[in-house]
Amino acid sequence: METKDITCPHCEKGFKSPDEMKAHMLADHRNDEVPPPEGHIRLTVNGKAYALDVQPNWTLYQLVHDHLGLTGAKQFCDRGACGSCTVIMDGKPVLSCMILAIECDGTTIETVEGVAAAGHPLIDAYVKHHAMQCGYCTPGFVTTSKALLDDNPRPTAHEVKIALSGNLCRCGTYPQHTIAVLEVSQKLTAS
Amino acid sequence: MKNFEHFNARSIDEAATLLGRYGGNAAVIAGGTDLLGKMKDRILPAYPEALINIKTVPGLDAIAETDDGLSIGALATLAGISAHPVILEKYTALAQAAGRTASPQLRNMGTIAGNLCQDIRCWYYRAAQNRFSCLRKGGGRCYALKGDNRFHSIFGGSVKGGCVAVHPSDTAPALIALGGTVITSRRAVKASDFFKVSVNRTTVLEADEIVTAVHLPAPAPGTRSAFMKFALRQSIDFPIVNCAAAITCEGDAVTRARICLNAVSVVPRRAAAAEQLMAGRNIDETAADAAGAAAVADAEPLDGNAWMVPIARTLVKRTLLACGPDPAEDESS
Ligand code: SF4
Ligand code: FES
Ligand code: FES
Repeated sequence: METKDITCPHCEKGFKSPDEMKAHMLADHRNDEVPPPEGHIRLTVNGKAYALDVQPNWTLYQLVHDHLGLTGAKQFCDRGACGSCTVIMDGKPVLSCMILAIECDGTTIETVEGVAAAGHPLIDAYVKHHAMQCGYCTPGFVTTSKALLDDNPRPTAHEVKIALSGNLCRCGTYPQHTIAVLEVSQKLTAS
Repeated sequence: MKNFEHFNARSIDEAATLLGRYGGNAAVIAGGTDLLGKMKDRILPAYPEALINIKTVPGLDAIAETDDGLSIGALATLAGISAHPVILEKYTALAQAAGRTASPQLRNMGTIAGNLCQDIRCWYYRAAQNRFSCLRKGGGRCYALKGDNRFHSIFGGSVKGGCVAVHPSDTAPALIALGGTVITSRRAVKASDFFKVSVNRTTVLEADEIVTAVHLPAPAPGTRSAFMKFALRQSIDFPIVNCAAAITCEGDAVTRARICLNAVSVVPRRAAAAEQLMAGRNIDETAADAAGAAAVADAEPLDGNAWMVPIARTLVKRTLLACGPDPAEDESS
């Protein structure tokens, strides 16, 4: 049988035998906290801290939608091509269908539920300006717009269009989004 | 997705060791935006046994000026590159290329190394469940040669008897025009030598080799660069043709031109004839037009893609004019 290298779970040192590894652990990591096993992640979703065990093949979408029950984000294409599954990760809009949940350890996620719970004026503006028909793409647009306004509180109409250019709407509601986002931008920066 | 083993690598060495241990049956994951699509669709006969995450390797996303140029870590995102002040100013073509790739969300996720190492988009190759076991997958024939090849190579194939799939990267031509080098866990490879087509391969990377950075030499005084892209949609789309150019001038005369087209051939393609033609001339309408014509003079379109030839020709012309003293607006975007 071939000897497999053993890698220390604390640092990246490799060892040929369990005994060498044990000696190293006693010498260097005696007082260190035991590192979590692969698949155990801690993350913050809409302000709430979670510690979860996930499978390698779960996407972030599956985690928030199927396992945490946050059904706002919608899966449309499941291939990174439509933006309907957009969530905000560490301040940036990303596609939850193309991110592995197991790689989200230590991140802060905001979904459309979080945007609504915080009473963000985007929600009312979207309703007021009818920025949806079937509504399937809407949570993705709202999260993308929220991340834009956090990053750039006074975007131009062109900047709004560029920021939303990764979100598809089969119902063709595009013009309304710019109107709604610019109105919210004015409202938020007026005071 | 079918399940797989997953490792968070803490160093490039560890990632390379893990890759070696799986002997070609593991893949490195960074942004994941290309890889996960391939896995979800099960396009390849083999499915990776393990994914090795390199986002957990510290410091791999740094962008820093060095004595002789700029170093961009493998994990630098396309969004970060497109907005980086030094890249915008001195390596303009790369900032423009990164900013025109995919969509805003994908640019927040996708990395420079991933954009260089991404797989081809040929629709036979990408068909779900490995439906067309074509030459590229070790099968008997190239379906695109006799089939629908409207988005395939206009400069011939490469694997024996075919494979006319184009290389889809936006940043690759910019890197080549700017004279960049790809740094891997083993060696430094000129960006122009990095791409290679063979069965199931788009780069010269070995099975346990990982891109760690790209390096750009400081541009010579009087150098301007630009990138242009033609795609069917303005966003979330791969290029039909893209072009990057870096032009060095003394006074008004061009002393050195590097022009690279992509998405028109199996690997990014330097337009050598156009480069020679520009030497000593001023960047003007006449010269740029002649260079565009020279760039596609040896095109050999297939049954369905002759329409790409004039687009490539025009894009070379416009990219050159964009490197001129008073660049026109980018009409392609
Ligand atoms: S162009 Fe290449 S990838 Fe596409 S069908 Fe032919 S051999 Fe396969
Ligand atoms: S469902 Fe994620 S981008 Fe379409
Ligand atoms: S409102 Fe129906 S897809 Fe956008």
